[in-house]
Amino acid sequence: MDELKMIGDLLTPERPASGQVIADARGRLLDEARTANRFARLLRSGRVWLTLALISGVTAALAIVPTVLLGGERSVEAPPGTRPAKPGKALNVLVVGSDRRLGAPGARADTMILLHLSADRKSLKGVSLPRDLMVRIPACESPSGAAVRGHLGLIGSAFTTGGLTCAWKTVESVTGVRVDHAMAIDYTGFKGMVDALGGVEIRLPSAVDDPYSGLRLPAGRHVVRGEQALAYVRTRRGIEDGSDLARIKNQQRFLAAMLSKAGDSLTDPARLYAFLRAADKAIEADPKLDLTTMYAIARGAKVTETGGATFVTAPFSPYPADPNRIQLKAGAAERLFVSLR
Amino acid sequence: MTGPARVVAPNPSADDDAELIEASRLRPERFAAIFDRYFTEIHRYVDRRLGADAADDIAAETFLVAFRKRDRFDPARDSARPWLYGIATRLVSRHRRNESRRYRALARVGVDPHAEGPEDRVAARVTASGTGFQLSSALAGLSRGDRDVLLLVALGDLTYEEVAQALGIAYGTVCSRLSRARRKVRAALGDLGDLGGRKGGEENHG
Repeated sequence: MDELKMIGDLLTPERPASGQVIADARGRLLDEARTANRFARLLRSGRVWLTLALISGVTAALAIVPTVLLGGERSVEAPPGTRPAKPGKALNVLVVGSDRRLGAPGARADTMILLHLSADRKSLKGVSLPRDLMVRIPACESPSGAAVRGHLGLIGSAFTTGGLTCAWKTVESVTGVRVDHAMAIDYTGFKGMVDALGGVEIRLPSAVDDPYSGLRLPAGRHVVRGEQALAYVRTRRGIEDGSDLARIKNQQRFLAAMLSKAGDSLTDPARLYAFLRAADKAIEADPKLDLTTMYAIARGAKVTETGGATFVTAPFSPYPADPNRIQLKAGAAERLFVSLR
Repeated sequence: MTGPARVVAPNPSADDDAELIEASRLRPERFAAIFDRYFTEIHRYVDRRLGADAADDIAAETFLVAFRKRDRFDPARDSARPWLYGIATRLVSRHRRNESRRYRALARVGVDPHAEGPEDRVAARVTASGTGFQLSSALAGLSRGDRDVLLLVALGDLTYEEVAQALGIAYGTVCSRLSRARRKVRAALGDLGDLGGRKGGEENHG
């Protein structure tokens, strides 16, 4: 007789769980499930990005992938007509930062970033498309249904005149990259998300006093939130050379810091809930991605730290006809975009 | 003795545990299926270590903890069984003083013919074979880590690999803990004299 068997014989159970015990335990579990369901419902109904990543325990950098692009009344459709082919499993998401409340007339694209999650899900790249970029805007339909003819214009104007669907179509047409999903976020939403994170740390190499954006801070590290955070990503005065490109760099830095903070702080359910509420109110996105797919993406993502995420600006050169505008730099831009396909 | 002697085979429908847990992320109520599948078995395991009253609480707690941690379940593992045993074992370990006391009590009744109560009767019966006292004392004397491994194998019928998963320890650690625990138990039993001939045997688990 071996000792394992003897132990088994010695430690016999006293009695099986009674029906009442099982029912009580099951009841406690279902109560817990109902509480959890409130989160789940928010997830199912919201156009919430970061969540996915967080819920499935994937870390910071991935949180950027705005994959939870669920349907809703503000949702947008993918552009109609011929679109670039999708040759592999890489995932591209267009994020537009808008300067007005979404849905309000005349909302302008303040910033545009194309996010690229590699086919092996190990790296994340953000490509900023400067708003002063002159591009060929394809024929679109404005949200009110009016036809907008193809024309040469600032890349951001596609969003202003044709909404998110038109911005989406423009980016696909200009880059030749198939954009899988698109989302827009407005200032209010941005502030709400930063606040829900408890603020985000920035570093200023020198003191800033910009009456236009309202940013007034001494040099050094600061945790900014609300209006200050917004001012930081909008200001172009008092930082570096004062160009839109310096501003883009700030935005990229801020996004990276935000991601890292999100990865750290959203494990707290109360924080997560506040963040979801803010994101839910602030985001307009396409409804195409179903939950199963989203979870598969988030779970499959292997970007484990912000080091796996890089931010670049689309290569550009001066626009000959207007010194205040720029155009994509032939060759370099093309190579970058090809790498995103 | 109540219930079947041992629950040996893993649940035959366990192959879709991972799927169920996955689904429960968005549909939390789906987790009830995991409960229905394993509650009785986990209850029985805890009962055997701490007694039925403690098992009522700890088995229920096991599924609450599992539910809260469902995002961390590794979907590469088909069955939730080792994972649940691991959670139950950690909860049992909070009661390890009670557990040792229980084993000592089992050992005592071996020499107390007037013992009463179901556990005492059981112990008395085992004791009649002349081993209960030594075995209970040996179990009471094991370190927590060694005892967890030994009892997951002896009571839960987990494979070494599953024990490693359940406790989040290396496979090699499972082997070394188990072999140490078995050696101590055998040594205790060996003191009985009538088992002396078994010394040096039973090394099949390495």
